[in-house]
Amino acid sequence: MKNIDVAVVGAGPAGLSAAIEAAKYGVKTLVIDENRQPGGQLFKQIHKFFGSQAQMAGIRGYEIGKKLLASAQMHHVQMHLNTQVIGIDETNTLAVIKDHHYSEIKARKIILCCGAAEKTLAFPGWTLPGIMGAGAAQTLVNIHRVLPGEKILMVGSGNVGLIVTYHFLQAGANVKAVIDAAHSIKGYGVHAAKIKRAGIPIMLGCTINRAIGKKQVEKAELIRVDERFNKIPSTEIQMDVDTICLAVGLSPSTELARMAGCKLYYDAKLGGYIPLINQDMQTTLEDIYAAGDMTGIEEASIAMEEGRIAGISCAVGLGYCPDTATSQRVVQNIRLNLSQLRSYKPN
Amino acid sequence: MGTGMRFNGCPSKNELASAPGVPSLEDLNRKPLAVIECIEPIPCNPCEHACPFQAITVGDPITNCPVLDPEKCTGCGTCIACCPGLAIFVIDMNFTAATALVTMPYELYPLPQEGAEIDCLGRGGNTVAKGRIHTVKTSEKFDKTALVSIELSKEFAMDVRNIRMC
Amino acid sequence: MDKDYIICRCEEVTLKEVEDAIQHGAHNPDEIKKCTRAGMGLCQGRICSTLITQLLEQRGYPPQHTTPPHSRMPVRPVKIKEYLEDIKDE
Repeated sequence: MKNIDVAVVGAGPAGLSAAIEAAKYGVKTLVIDENRQPGGQLFKQIHKFFGSQAQMAGIRGYEIGKKLLASAQMHHVQMHLNTQVIGIDETNTLAVIKDHHYSEIKARKIILCCGAAEKTLAFPGWTLPGIMGAGAAQTLVNIHRVLPGEKILMVGSGNVGLIVTYHFLQAGANVKAVIDAAHSIKGYGVHAAKIKRAGIPIMLGCTINRAIGKKQVEKAELIRVDERFNKIPSTEIQMDVDTICLAVGLSPSTELARMAGCKLYYDAKLGGYIPLINQDMQTTLEDIYAAGDMTGIEEASIAMEEGRIAGISCAVGLGYCPDTATSQRVVQNIRLNLSQLRSYKPN
Repeated sequence: MGTGMRFNGCPSKNELASAPGVPSLEDLNRKPLAVIECIEPIPCNPCEHACPFQAITVGDPITNCPVLDPEKCTGCGTCIACCPGLAIFVIDMNFTAATALVTMPYELYPLPQEGAEIDCLGRGGNTVAKGRIHTVKTSEKFDKTALVSIELSKEFAMDVRNIRMC
Repeated sequence: MDKDYIICRCEEVTLKEVEDAIQHGAHNPDEIKKCTRAGMGLCQGRICSTLITQLLEQRGYPPQHTTPPHSRMPVRPVKIKEYLEDIKDE
């Protein structure tokens, strides 16, 4: 059994930011991540991020990842990679599998930054090879440098759908169309404008009826829907595709929060069930904090700020900040940033 | 179904006319200027900090659309590559008597060759006119976003926002 | 309308089976899991649970009124052999 002050589950933007802040105060901090590389989804974000100049805006996502890693190293954050957290109990002990071996880590405080999983869409044929989450396709293209196919249909006009379409364009793929059942574009207009001026059709009020193919997807059958999303009969069209990417939202990964016994509630706008947290990012359990997408699907810029609050709150809670006035001021500033970052969301 | 950015991905004439970052045609006829086609409240302000002449203001709250001061703007193009939305262009309406120069952000490889004849595309991806690549600028500061300047017939300068290699 | 397509990939549970379960009184994800095994496979519902939440909502059982599905160890697919051997050692 390993003992640590703060264990952070997940090395994405929220987890790294939380660990860095806690470690700044001298807290012994360990970040655990199941992937080989830390950074979460940042390293596949090859576009420049929106945000405030003061918080790394205008920088490409992977560069933000590099900066976070350098900072974590500088502040002596410990890192367990290739390590899966498979359980959590009421004594703040994490059950982990590292290098194919089981062990336990007991922490005084735990910050859950487990991120989110892609939602999917079920329709006849959706289990055919060639149909995948847009985020998975983005990993293929930007991390593994493999195009999932040559004729791609993107389902979903949210920011993920629009951005991944642009990444496909940069990778040389042919995106046949972006479709959305909604009657207006869900993501930021500027992201839509980038792909629109490259000639990619954006078809609204249109959904996927079924996927057709023998060993893999060969055609997508699209159908128009009315304002209430009812399919309009006899409006089917077929499109030759070898890949269908589903960008239909993300769902917060709350398995560990649920197992720990944190109280959850449902918020459709934030992606589904999420842990109830206070303004210090503390869950309904005293020693368990949560930050990032698992507390609601938002931007990476917001995840980082939430992580920072959680990290500072843990340091304060463990008695590492004798000067609470200063740490309070820092947290107040972060909250101000957060409210600004949240002041507008498309649709 | 409506028109405009939310409905087809192209800012409409009205949306552009009311955007505080898009200068008037009168001003554009006077001198080269940035055209900031940022019409939605996005929490984003790198353009404000990029401008060496303080010609762009976002201010507080950060979701304000950028406001361009046509008096201070020199059309230098420093702001183009800093915009994560790739929404800033510089237009020199009187590049020659008959042609304008449109400078745009470009993030596809291979980069176009200077002097090459290209198709000029509108906001909808449609071919609007023929044009010629005047310059292609890259720099470490632009962080992999190239600045491509296209010489084209004046009348299309406010419509062309992309290129396609012929 | 074809209802034979799969909702839970791991346990190969079809839309029809889920709908039947709802009709027979399974009104939250855990009850559907117990009736059909949907969400009991390798991924432990990471793919299908949002689909099932949607199906329930469309049939008048909104997620605000039901509890989220239970979560049990291990939340990731692990080889039970490695896991049990090391627990003995601890």
